[in-house]
Amino acid sequence: MKKEILVLLIVTLCACSKAPDEAGYVPIPIVVDIPSNFPDMVYNLDNNQITEAGFELGKKLFYEGKLSANNAIPCAFCHEQAFAFTHHEHTVSHGLNGGVGRRNAQPIQNLAYQSEFMWDGAATHLDLQPIIPITAEVEMGETLSNVISKLKADNYYQNQFGKAFEDGEINGENLLKALSQFMIMMVSSNSKYDKYVRKEDNVSLSTLELDGLQTFKNKCASCHATDLFTDQSYRNTGLPVNPKLDDKGRFSIFENTDDLYKFKVPSLRNVEKSNPYMHDGRFATLEAVLNFYDTGIIENGGQVDAVLTKEDGTLGITLLDYEKKSLIAFLKTLTDNEFLTDERFSEF
Amino acid sequence: MKILKFTCALLLCASIYSCSTDDDNSEDLSGQKGNVVLKFDNGVGDQDFIFGTSYNRSNGESFQLETLKYIVSNIRFKDNMGNTFMYPVNDNVFIVSEASGNNAGEILLTLKDVEAANYTEITFGIGVDQDRFALGADGQGNFLAAAQDQGMMWSWATGYKFIRFDGTYSSETATDEGLNFHMGSVGTSLDNYKETTLTFPNSVLVRAGKTPEIHIKADIMKAFDGVTSVNFADGYDQVHVDAVETPIIATNVASMFMVHHVHND
Repeated sequence: MKKEILVLLIVTLCACSKAPDEAGYVPIPIVVDIPSNFPDMVYNLDNNQITEAGFELGKKLFYEGKLSANNAIPCAFCHEQAFAFTHHEHTVSHGLNGGVGRRNAQPIQNLAYQSEFMWDGAATHLDLQPIIPITAEVEMGETLSNVISKLKADNYYQNQFGKAFEDGEINGENLLKALSQFMIMMVSSNSKYDKYVRKEDNVSLSTLELDGLQTFKNKCASCHATDLFTDQSYRNTGLPVNPKLDDKGRFSIFENTDDLYKFKVPSLRNVEKSNPYMHDGRFATLEAVLNFYDTGIIENGGQVDAVLTKEDGTLGITLLDYEKKSLIAFLKTLTDNEFLTDERFSEF
Repeated sequence: MKILKFTCALLLCASIYSCSTDDDNSEDLSGQKGNVVLKFDNGVGDQDFIFGTSYNRSNGESFQLETLKYIVSNIRFKDNMGNTFMYPVNDNVFIVSEASGNNAGEILLTLKDVEAANYTEITFGIGVDQDRFALGADGQGNFLAAAQDQGMMWSWATGYKFIRFDGTYSSETATDEGLNFHMGSVGTSLDNYKETTLTFPNSVLVRAGKTPEIHIKADIMKAFDGVTSVNFADGYDQVHVDAVETPIIATNVASMFMVHHVHND
């Protein structure tokens, strides 16, 4: 049924784009493959058909400084491809006029498979997520209206919005749809681990990596679930609160005390490259993260997640030295070099 | 005899004629479209709403506002045959801002190409429904930027503010304390979109080339003393995302509208 609708849509779209002399709408669809080890896609492509021109526009916008108030801070400023689209070596990020944020920039990968975004779930639709960084004073500090008028004055965008969208309008809707088209295509699914689980190219894991995978399944996978490596829930992991930031996490969304210090379970894909770690980037290495789960969890004023309480009532996940070593070896099998170097997502 | 025949014929003609004139009275409206103007007129009890003017409440508190805005959407009309006309969804979301009112304090929304009919009631929502949220950017057109320009969108989260009241209140214990309602739905789990249906005192006759006006009064007092009465001093001075407070205010706001009169063009 879905396919029929898609075909019909394409036919109608083609029928509408007949005027050959204007550089108008060119709906060449891009087929979106769902990796066989992934759960279902959340994003509804029926509302935003991905086309070559739309993807190209989204990529241009992702690297476009005009989305910020000083025309110098594109999305890519804090989301660098080589580091799984995170802000390399930055605990928290900085933006417009030296403004400093309070959270670690998250990777941009496999977002079409997630229903909520940001560390606290402040965005409930991928299309609408970019509004937050574009308008945040310490990030890009701009308004949608200003972005739109800057783009309207640019020949490339006049032309490219026309190619990408049937109505050709440069407006908030099409700006955000184009960014989504780019982000939907940013799929990391070809790590060593992926090839191992899909039994591709005769890829095998070493004994150390396999032991790490076993420990991961026993001690980590209840939260870092599925091959997205997140169950997309919000949890308080008992991190000591940094009083300087006093970040209450998901509490800020509903002001519900049950949500104090809860943050979204992050995906672990490309985790080797996305350091530093945790919502505020406090840990520089994976060793530091595992040491924290082993011995660092405290009662931090919120309700520490029940899965982090041991049978004897103490907090933490017991991890022996070999378990830590093998876990890290396993986590490095989630590095997807094809994704990290994919020219489709590169600025140049 | 001739006279009788003639009379019969005349009667027959007359009855046929009268039938056909009846038909003419229920005019053929199919394909006709007209405009409708909605005039939103904010007041407080029996007074007009004026920025900076202090209004007294029955609980002893008083308030004055500097910002008064709300979003209305999904406007639709029901006619005397029971049919519903839904204004096109993509264009069916508006910001009613007191600041953009005329000198009479009326904010005018013009609905174009409304199907001709004799309408007896109007239904609209306050805020943005979950269906529209679920579409993401789809169908939002220019409204995202417009809402942001009007301060009707959050920057820390991606959602519209359905209702925005900014001002101060005073009570026995407080003087000119901040009064701020910035509320909407929060994600999919806190849905504060509410609808109201208002009956017209007389039918709104939409015809080609005509622009009837519907004068809708909104009693802002009912936002605080509506279905449920709340005291600013009890935490209802700052209403943002609270799961208890916001649905109460949303229900109150949905109860503050009435159609005062209709001008058929």
